[in-house]
Amino acid sequence: MTDAELIEKLKSDLGDTVEEISNPARRRLFLKVAPQRLLAVTTRLRDAYGVVFLSTISGVDNGEMFEILYHFSTPETDYNIRTEIPKANPHIDSITPAIPGAVLYERELQDMFGIVVDGIPDARPLVLPDDWPAGNFPLRKDWKHERPQEVIPGGKS
Amino acid sequence: MSFQIPIGPQHPALKEPISLRMTVEGEVITGVDIRLGYNHRGLEKLAEDRNWTQNIYLVERICGICSHSHATCYVQGVEKLMELAPPKRGLYIRYLVSELERIHSHLLWLGVAGHEAGFDSFFMYVWRDREVVMDLLELITGNRVHYAINTLGGVRRDLDAGQIAKIRDGLVVLRKRSEYYFHIGANEPSFVARIAGVGYLSKEKAVALCAVGPTARASGWARDVRKEDPYAVYDEVDFDVATADSCDVLGRVVVRVKELLESYKICEQILDKLPPGDIAVKAPRKAKPGEVVSRYEAPRGENIHYIKSNGTDKPERLKVRAPTLGNYPATVEMLRKGFIADIPLIFAAIDPCICCAERSVTLIDAGSGEESVARMSDLRRRAIVRHENAPLKRNAVWPL
Repeated sequence: MTDAELIEKLKSDLGDTVEEISNPARRRLFLKVAPQRLLAVTTRLRDAYGVVFLSTISGVDNGEMFEILYHFSTPETDYNIRTEIPKANPHIDSITPAIPGAVLYERELQDMFGIVVDGIPDARPLVLPDDWPAGNFPLRKDWKHERPQEVIPGGKS
Repeated sequence: MSFQIPIGPQHPALKEPISLRMTVEGEVITGVDIRLGYNHRGLEKLAEDRNWTQNIYLVERICGICSHSHATCYVQGVEKLMELAPPKRGLYIRYLVSELERIHSHLLWLGVAGHEAGFDSFFMYVWRDREVVMDLLELITGNRVHYAINTLGGVRRDLDAGQIAKIRDGLVVLRKRSEYYFHIGANEPSFVARIAGVGYLSKEKAVALCAVGPTARASGWARDVRKEDPYAVYDEVDFDVATADSCDVLGRVVVRVKELLESYKICEQILDKLPPGDIAVKAPRKAKPGEVVSRYEAPRGENIHYIKSNGTDKPERLKVRAPTLGNYPATVEMLRKGFIADIPLIFAAIDPCICCAERSVTLIDAGSGEESVARMSDLRRRAIVRHENAPLKRNAVWPL
């Protein structure tokens, strides 16, 4: 099935749950969905189209909004599901009920952007250290690294 | 009673800082927890402050073994953003280095697998032969680890007739040796007995946990980016995707050796078809606003970069997913229900020492889940008490 045929099929099948489908290059489909429909679309794609392999989840800070991309691939084509959530209330549903392998990427998303993933089976930090100050999310555009002053334990001799 | 054994993050036997917490009951592992982040360098944030060319050298330093994979994955994505068409000769040289890197990485892994299985002569032979391909890489690029041959729009060094002849000679030696290792790896009784059935990962689990690369292929899931999403030269060369159905460490050895043989085939075809002409085109300084998803089959599995540009000379966002991260959930699954003695084999590249792990261990009360730290002397006392009350015959004969 070519990309164009697949888009037609997806449009008739998913209807208005998908806001937009674009195909900028061969084997690259970008589907835009509302955040509350993300899990439903993922489950539908998994059951009807065999979309079981999640490569990764990318977060992008667009100022007022966070853009989240779920990169899936099948032997036929690559599906990139795009969704947007407001920075003021960053909540997204976990897709682990459909794709259990997503948990590490969702934890990374929580660490790096401060996005709260609702229903994640394991919400501990993944890459940030245990003593990382709360409310610091390194991949947000407004976050700047300030090197903490070095303190010699016990003071200078 | 279950114990929790912490291994790492700093451990004399671990090559890389990763923390594993094994919950064990006797010799059997019942739970595994992996903690990451001890070596997090903030590369994605750093990449937003550097221009397109500087980032080639940054992403090349993500990994010390598959350095070319990350650089190539990044470069082929940025070339799409800049709408560049690198000359054929440049692409052929770039993917020749890719395949040579796969050869060196798989030979390295094969040696480590032999070492972990207690087959050290195998390890020494394999690593001796790995020097052949390392020398070829040095001959082509000038470096053994960070080849730095990629540039936006092509490659930085050309091949001459003398180099091509030397590569062909090297491939003949490597193929002969790899066929021998294939024979050994699949037939040597003690080696096979050690690795068969260890680290079982069913196909269903491999699919559910999104395993990548040889790990997925050894569980009978034939996914290879080179085949399903052929980038650059891979639709012009003939090769097969190596798979195995045994779902264990033996399958992973077989898959990697088969991939070695396929890589020799690809290298020879690339050298046969190497077209004349330029090796690079000039790249613009800025890229138009846009986004691209670049996929690449690294030696360890699928490597994916998501690159977004905003019209300046720096990326808006660079997301990197290295294949090993994708394989961690599957590794947890492989370790579960395994034996402590199989951890090094399953983890392969890691060589943890269990007996000298720590002087104190953390105990989890199976009923309440409460953690408590016990000293070695307490454990010893508990063991003696338990032994005295155990319903065992004191004069039992060991059944030999």
